[in-house]
Amino acid sequence: MTRSVNVHHTVWDSRQIQEMLPQRYPFIMIDRVIKADRRTGKVVCVKNVTGNEGHFLGHFPDNPIMPGALILEAMGQAGILLYWLLRPEQAAKRPLYLMGTIKATFKRTVVPGDQLIIEVTKDKLLDNVGRILARAEVNGCLVMESTMSFGVIKKNG
Amino acid sequence: MSKKMTGNNDAIKKEVRKILAEVAEIPEKKIKDDADFYEDIGIDSMQGLEIFASIEKKYKIRIPEEKMPVTRSVVKVSELVAALIKKK
Repeated sequence: MTRSVNVHHTVWDSRQIQEMLPQRYPFIMIDRVIKADRRTGKVVCVKNVTGNEGHFLGHFPDNPIMPGALILEAMGQAGILLYWLLRPEQAAKRPLYLMGTIKATFKRTVVPGDQLIIEVTKDKLLDNVGRILARAEVNGCLVMESTMSFGVIKKNG
Repeated sequence: MSKKMTGNNDAIKKEVRKILAEVAEIPEKKIKDDADFYEDIGIDSMQGLEIFASIEKKYKIRIPEEKMPVTRSVVKVSELVAALIKKK
């Protein structure tokens, strides 16, 4: 996946991402979108992992490892950005996004200094529900892959 | 319909019922062939998508997205799957 990826190419920068995601500091898990392709239904995102992140204080003392749940969260947020790409009009209405079933395989640990490259591809997308395939790599090595289903609920009914 | 085709459809129905029972967490014997997934069995749309994804994986087919919201029972899903397998 990463062989053809230019991490400096910016499709959406951090400020644009903050306008699109419902999450806020300290829970924004995507720094940059480097590829977005409507035809194939795919986005590729970057998350730079730093030792300043609060969860490393406890996970674990003297052995900082990024919690797998947060990698899944990053995949979910990349999924929201994919929804913006594929259904911009619905996304602009600021719906609620609900995570459904997750099937994930953890392959390697992620530590401060790593750069996560997260690729999310549409599997299915209906009006109010979707399913994505996600892969996260560090330096060309797979660290996690997952499938996730999610619901999209209009606000105020 | 030929006897062979009916047999295939029965096997597909059995598999669809099994997948639905797993996702909905209810016994297979409680699922009627014409029960509506959402109205009668009470699954939500995310579970519905999981069922279609499992069926696609099992039969190595792609179910068109537009068919999913309107294909809502064991019998309807089985007919659709049989038609897609035949097209392969």
